[in-house]
Amino acid sequence: MDAPTLPLPIIALAQLGDPGAAACEGDFCAIPDHHQQAVVNRKLDEDLV
Amino acid sequence: MSNPIKVDIWSDVQCPWCYIGKRKFEAGAAEFGGDVEVEYHSFELAPDTPVDFDGSPADYLAQRKGLPMAQVEEMLERVTGIAKSVGLDYDYDHVHQTNTVISHELIHFAKSKGRQLEMKERLLDAYFVRGEHVGRIPDLVAIAVDLGFDEAEVTEALESHRFLADVKADVALAQEYGIQGVPFFVIDGKYGVSGAQEAATFANVLTQVQNEREAV
Repeated sequence: MDAPTLPLPIIALAQLGDPGAAACEGDFCAIPDHHQQAVVNRKLDEDLV
Repeated sequence: MSNPIKVDIWSDVQCPWCYIGKRKFEAGAAEFGGDVEVEYHSFELAPDTPVDFDGSPADYLAQRKGLPMAQVEEMLERVTGIAKSVGLDYDYDHVHQTNTVISHELIHFAKSKGRQLEMKERLLDAYFVRGEHVGRIPDLVAIAVDLGFDEAEVTEALESHRFLADVKADVALAQEYGIQGVPFFVIDGKYGVSGAQEAATFANVLTQVQNEREAV
């Protein structure tokens, strides 16, 4: 199914920063892959202690 | 006389990345070191949520998204771990999932008294850390009184919904900017930064704006 067409912004902004940074949209807050990997790494480190 | 860089931040009270992003932005602004003026704006992630939702955030996600409870709990555990990394002790076992519109009205009330930033921080802390209810007027009045606001004045403001139009104006402005998710940072009215970026990213953007100003 095609993605819904989003309304064009009326006020144009130049976007800066990581476009994959963690954010909440609607009622869902996704966890980006790099955060998930960081948590896995932390758990591995903790298991080594 | 200094001319601070204006940062407009769209955020919701029950947005875990907004509180994490707030801490990262604050660290980035400190790293930048220049004058920054912050103004928070209202954004409702789930305006159809009932004030007295019967269940936890995990129940809410499982019901709304149809996700297995084990997966939801794992997600919340991950977010809790990330929050911990920036010094925030999220307590999802005691979070009250609710409708946040009146909490946004309270933030606008505080703004009218010149104390918006204090109220924003207190409400995020109330929701994620203290396990307080941020959807009901009596609970919100108690939070305001805890900060030293006048009980009768806050009660009147929230019961009359005197600041609801300001909340809706913020939401409408977000639509004009094309903002789909939060946190969202508009810096100096021309740069958009989406999400809980790293502190260094915020510092770099603020430095870029400062350099552009100095080059004019």
